[in-house]
Amino acid sequence: MSKEKNVIKISETDASEPRKTEGELLRCENIDKLFSGVQVLFSADFSMNYGEVHALMGENGAGKSTLIKIVTGVYHKDGGQLFIDGEPVEVDSPIDARALGIAVIYQELSLIPDLTVMENIYLGQELTKGGMRQKKRMRGRTLDLIKKYDLNLNPDAPVEVLSMADRQMVEVLKALSQDAKLVIMDEPTSSLSASEAEHLFKTIEGLKSKGVGIIYVTHRLEEVYRIADRLTVMRNGEVVGTLTKEEINPKTVTTMMIGREIKTERQGRAPRNEEMKLEVSGLSYGDLLKDVNFTAYGGEILGIGGLVGSGRTELVHCIYGIKKPKTGKITLNGKPVSRSVIKNINDGFGLVPEDRRQEGFNPIQTIEKNICIASYDVLAKVLGLVGAKKERIWAETAMEDYDIRPRDRNFFVENMSGGNQQKVVLARWLARKPRVLILDEPTVGVDVGVRAELYRFMRESAAKGSIIIMVSSDLFELVQISDRILVIHDGKFFEEFEGDKATQQSILLASSGEHTEEGVAL
Amino acid sequence: MRIKSQSIRRLVAVGLVLALVVIFAITTPTFFGARNISILLKDSAYLGLVACGMAFPMIGGGIDLSVGGIVCAVGIISVHLSYDFGLSGYAIIFIATLAGAAFGLLNGIIVAKVGLTEFVATLASGFLFLGLGRALVFKDAGGRAVTRAVSSESYLSFGKNPLWENGWYLITFVWIVVAVGLYIVLKKTKFGLYTYAIGSNDKAAKMSGVDTTKIKIIGFIISGACAGLAAFLVTANLTSSPAALGDGYEFKAIAACVVGGIMLGGGKGDTINALLGALFMTIILNGIYKFGLDSTFVYIIQGLIILLATAFDSQFAKFAAKRRLKEQRLSDITPASAS
Repeated sequence: MSKEKNVIKISETDASEPRKTEGELLRCENIDKLFSGVQVLFSADFSMNYGEVHALMGENGAGKSTLIKIVTGVYHKDGGQLFIDGEPVEVDSPIDARALGIAVIYQELSLIPDLTVMENIYLGQELTKGGMRQKKRMRGRTLDLIKKYDLNLNPDAPVEVLSMADRQMVEVLKALSQDAKLVIMDEPTSSLSASEAEHLFKTIEGLKSKGVGIIYVTHRLEEVYRIADRLTVMRNGEVVGTLTKEEINPKTVTTMMIGREIKTERQGRAPRNEEMKLEVSGLSYGDLLKDVNFTAYGGEILGIGGLVGSGRTELVHCIYGIKKPKTGKITLNGKPVSRSVIKNINDGFGLVPEDRRQEGFNPIQTIEKNICIASYDVLAKVLGLVGAKKERIWAETAMEDYDIRPRDRNFFVENMSGGNQQKVVLARWLARKPRVLILDEPTVGVDVGVRAELYRFMRESAAKGSIIIMVSSDLFELVQISDRILVIHDGKFFEEFEGDKATQQSILLASSGEHTEEGVAL
Repeated sequence: MRIKSQSIRRLVAVGLVLALVVIFAITTPTFFGARNISILLKDSAYLGLVACGMAFPMIGGGIDLSVGGIVCAVGIISVHLSYDFGLSGYAIIFIATLAGAAFGLLNGIIVAKVGLTEFVATLASGFLFLGLGRALVFKDAGGRAVTRAVSSESYLSFGKNPLWENGWYLITFVWIVVAVGLYIVLKKTKFGLYTYAIGSNDKAAKMSGVDTTKIKIIGFIISGACAGLAAFLVTANLTSSPAALGDGYEFKAIAACVVGGIMLGGGKGDTINALLGALFMTIILNGIYKFGLDSTFVYIIQGLIILLATAFDSQFAKFAAKRRLKEQRLSDITPASAS
């Protein structure tokens, strides 16, 4: 490979020079990828044209990001061939990708807030003459680009005053200034408000009309309808198929995403305990949750579904007391739930957080301390003194009951496997015999064996009369474990499912704002 | 049975102290003299008290840079209380501790309620306390600072002379009692266990129902109280409060904690580590003087010690991470009975 290829240059030519705007831009043929012997991409095919917005969808782990990372040179493929403009190319590094005109807009933006739009665009490739920056020339070029793509940006504005959407625009502009012809956007609207997203869609249309190709990775069907020319769906490392704009409809897409549904035997549910109920009414939080109403009962596992970023975590945090809702009433058996986490815990609440490592456990502390931390209201008495024996028995009982391995209370939690770490976090609450146990994505990063155990512990706790609320993005888990499922869409509960009626497809449809036969509209 | 990494770190600290003692005992015949030991333990005690207090904000994941200022302010206040108001030493020791605690409370409120970072908040408040102390210095008619000697018997009984001839000073006992007392607080009370929890993972502690704000504030109060107590005892030994009292104490105390094995970043260590660290720092200074080395060496050697201690900690952390990987793989397949 020539060295030349690795040099990225700001286009020295005029921004208005005509470029190729038609025909095939990128083609991936039979791409294979293995991670330590495990195949994660199976002969994936993908192609896109100039001036096309091509959406890419699939459940978590379907292989979208792996494919994208191969195209952008982050991963090396184990088989197959990439073509740009019909020519076979090797993309061995992100630098190669940029030299070929492939740019990624990252979710965590890589802009420097203190610098202006222009300075950010030219960062690292300033136009210089005799060691001096040619500010005028760079400014002129930036203005040309802004004009060409019809963006509403001021080259002299410092990036820190821009909205998230405008910052994304600057990223796009930076890519275009380096002659990008293929722009990859990974969930670009996840950090945008609705009006900002609309602004982004307009820009995308503008780019498209100038011949730029865009790969748009998303979870949101609405966005696909809105902007995509074609849609490719992936599942389990395979490309299931590509749909044209006319062929895209919710039923087809969700069927492709989920495939054949396997429903195994459901565990029998305990009778619902109507005496024990958590009622939420009129709850709103920020712009995310508008008007949430529901009742959870003792004895049942209530599943909460919805897209990532739909406000599920915020909802359970509001109930738990760690976040303050804007409006709304939360009561447990008719008694208002406190806004203080500490009071709620004493009152029988518990929460297994989504991010185990950040919010779940104390890594450099022992299993014993991690289990006991929420129970010093019981374990400590006079002057806050904690009896070592009491603590030991509390921890050992929990470790026995929930089969925590290794069975060594002085073992540091950071040294444990993900599944056992989660058991520790769960045992912390189960040891207290909670009245309301909330689990947020309880099985992420947990292996299959431990997963089954976690489900069993949840079921047992429900059978003892606890209210169990489980937020999950794992559709199989949601459908399989929950007695009842509520799906959030657009800040409200959109549809309700009985556990035995729900299918993964119907949950996915409801999450995208499509009513289903299986569910009951709310 | 596996040795816990914390125990290894403590053994290292003890080993360092012992190694120093042996070196100095061999090379300087006067080192093991009763008088030298007595002075050495007295000198360790001032630093040691401040370091034991400092242990709390540090274990909680923070730092307290204001202890130097607290020592300065409380030292001069103590002398005023005796000189101007004629209070007895017994009353003043309590007032001094409480005054230190009050300064600590102020730190806690700035950090926890106003939401400034520990570093900046206590850096600023440290200057304020230092300024307060300087403003209260005794002045003559011309406005020049003058020294006023404490003459109260009860005051001086705390520090001027050893309890018996060439024996230990009262402050040495106070130090040991405080270090052990605070050790029990750390290991046996809800508050102590919560302190480790917030130092280990502040967010997780909050999610588990720990009032992190309250725990942080109490940590600063303990740090301030220890500094206040140390300030009184120093002035009792010096019979006055020099204007420069407390200068640089915060860094000496942090150094003692670090050398003793309390990690910057929190979650590990205890007051016994602080005690060992203070002893080590003082012995090395004492030894350098006994060697007759130039005093300029003091800083160089202090710097080297801190570098070595932190380098050891980071290397040790790498080693521990390797061991962790191995254990992680083993932990799931270990039969349930293994422990």
